[in-house]
Amino acid sequence: MVKIRLFHLYPEHLNLYGDRGNMLALCRRAEWRNIAIEIVSIKPGESINFSSCDLLFMGGGQDSDQKLIVEDLKKRRDELKIAAENGMVIFSVCGSYQLLGNYYVAVGGEKLAGLGIIDLYTEAGSRRLIGNAVIDCPLWQPPRTLAGFENHAGKTYLGPSVQPLGTVLTGFGNNGSDKTEGAVHNNVIGTYLHGSLLPKNPWLTDYLLEKALSYRGTPVKLASLDDSLEQRAHDSAIVLARSRRHKRLSTRA
Amino acid sequence: MIANSLRKFKGGLKNRLFKIRSLPAVWIGKLLIILTRILGRGGTTLPGRAARLIDPRLSSHLAEYLQEGIITVTGTNGKTTTASLIGAIFEKHGLHCIRNRSGSNMIWGIASTLIEKATWFASLHGDCAVMEVDEGAFPGVVGEIKPRGTVITNIFRDQLDRYGELDHIRESISRGLQVQPENGFEVINADDPTLVTLEAAEGKKRWTFGLEIDTPADNFLNTGCDLKMCPRCASNLNYSRLYYAHLGHYYCPECDFKRPQPDVTITKRIINPDGSSLLSITFADQSIEFSFILPGIYNLYNALAAFTTALAAGIPPSITGEALEKAAPSFGRMEQFTLNGIKIIMALIKNPVGANQVLRTLLSEKENLGLLLAINDKIADGTDVSWLWDVDFEQIAAAQNRLAYVAVSGLRAWDMAVRLKYAGLDSSRIPVEEDTARALSTAIQNISPDSTLLILPSYTAMLEMRRHLNKMGLGRPYWED
Repeated sequence: MVKIRLFHLYPEHLNLYGDRGNMLALCRRAEWRNIAIEIVSIKPGESINFSSCDLLFMGGGQDSDQKLIVEDLKKRRDELKIAAENGMVIFSVCGSYQLLGNYYVAVGGEKLAGLGIIDLYTEAGSRRLIGNAVIDCPLWQPPRTLAGFENHAGKTYLGPSVQPLGTVLTGFGNNGSDKTEGAVHNNVIGTYLHGSLLPKNPWLTDYLLEKALSYRGTPVKLASLDDSLEQRAHDSAIVLARSRRHKRLSTRA
Repeated sequence: MIANSLRKFKGGLKNRLFKIRSLPAVWIGKLLIILTRILGRGGTTLPGRAARLIDPRLSSHLAEYLQEGIITVTGTNGKTTTASLIGAIFEKHGLHCIRNRSGSNMIWGIASTLIEKATWFASLHGDCAVMEVDEGAFPGVVGEIKPRGTVITNIFRDQLDRYGELDHIRESISRGLQVQPENGFEVINADDPTLVTLEAAEGKKRWTFGLEIDTPADNFLNTGCDLKMCPRCASNLNYSRLYYAHLGHYYCPECDFKRPQPDVTITKRIINPDGSSLLSITFADQSIEFSFILPGIYNLYNALAAFTTALAAGIPPSITGEALEKAAPSFGRMEQFTLNGIKIIMALIKNPVGANQVLRTLLSEKENLGLLLAINDKIADGTDVSWLWDVDFEQIAAAQNRLAYVAVSGLRAWDMAVRLKYAGLDSSRIPVEEDTARALSTAIQNISPDSTLLILPSYTAMLEMRRHLNKMGLGRPYWED
């Protein structure tokens, strides 16, 4: 039986915006095709053997948790970077997306080093970018839309060689100004979109599963599923995103 | 001498000027309240907002009329029920008590409530008030109405698009406690580790409450949406008893942080055949027993919070016990209706911890059940529906044999349907109807007469459902409550 080893990084700490939905989507859509999923939950301080990981999921965290885990993750930076360069699949949302970049500039100007897996950096913004978001994603030809929800204060800027995950149709995206959203480097994907993102954008879930299988050396053409419900959720999210006026809400911090 | 009388004159003028401003403010507010009602809405924000433009100090001014002071209730879950219980106790004690509705718990809503109860001469008849207050609005409201007592129920993850992260909510509550008058008191849930570390203001009496009973194990503890981390040293907390989420008897294995011994506890709970409980509350070497009808562990916390507040306010425990015995569910919180023999229970869901407790309580009912979930994503619901993925809707899949009918509705009906599909339900059997009126009548038609229809709406969907139920002759419009 074909198997995917799905590593879930610090589930107790990185689980802010319905990240459980992303995990559920990956698991269910593999199960429905008789692909076994082995979930490995990683706790801070534990040793991680990235060579046995096919797909790494990193969710969003509260600021206080994020500081805690950054230190832990830095110890594994080199292994993680090698695995990512070899084509290991990483899906990261919000806080951990920022973490994959080179650095983060905090409000006071302090520069916090990131993991340097993707060439990007993030600056703390003065206002939170909150709302429904829709992007046009060129991972497929023709491109497909991804619908989600964003809620971030950081503004992320991509290096010249990094492709965005998509172009903003509605919402703010990476920084609210250059119309990019997320980043793709090899099989590493980072995004600000949650909602949860994967359940109502099943093509992205399947993309991650396929990439994980071919990275493991067992390329499989995934059987198609009845996605009519997911499609309706996706379509209605787009309608709602377009009908709402987007406001920049200031933080309460 | 001259300077003194000038100062007096100025002061008098200032006071008169306040009245000059508060009179038209109250009038405009009252007229807007009447107008919004004619339009069929229970206007809660607009009247207060408009009146405060005319007189920004209106709430402070009106609050001063209440001789017995104001109690504010804040926290993520249990605000409405706790405030309602406290109000019932005060009334039982013979005090005329002003209450706000859950939709009016921001600074403007509280102003609207005071305006509604005020006379046309901008004075207020009443002895006291119990106000539930939004966590984010808490510091501002406390600064304005200067409550005598403040109750903090708990802090859980809530609508992140509005409140931000837990740390922000905690900070907001902390700021509110700092501006509360020093001669007041605060009532805090000792079973919540995020609350007991709130700095106690000097001179202010702090009362704590907690549970001391054994409860059946929760099979759905995998929510993972609340961190059980030591607020002092960030180690993982251990629990000798865990009630739900992060509430329980916690202790840190690394430092000396642990649950303080609460002043008031529930030490015994016997569940009667009719679903009500016989509770034993212990405080300062005394104890009192009474029966309590509201279901679920979370309502035990609400009862404790109310009991502790009444104790702090000096109300005799026997009166409190009598009032709690008569407690009925509040607005949209497990409200019951009967239509053509079908029992309907409506219970608001708005965040993962609350929704899990509601599901856990309702799905333990023995009878056959039908279920209608209605999820909107308006501002008052939270515009981010990702919280649905943190709710253990897997509980529904586990109870499928007693659930002949499961349907979804609301603006985010399709998201909800996908959530149920991934929870393991057969999605082809789930009707999706975005319109809540149609979804409700379809549910009533399709449910067998011997079963109970559970309606689980988000906040604005609950308001819609209430309007539909009102049209069917069930319940009353909420401004008549």
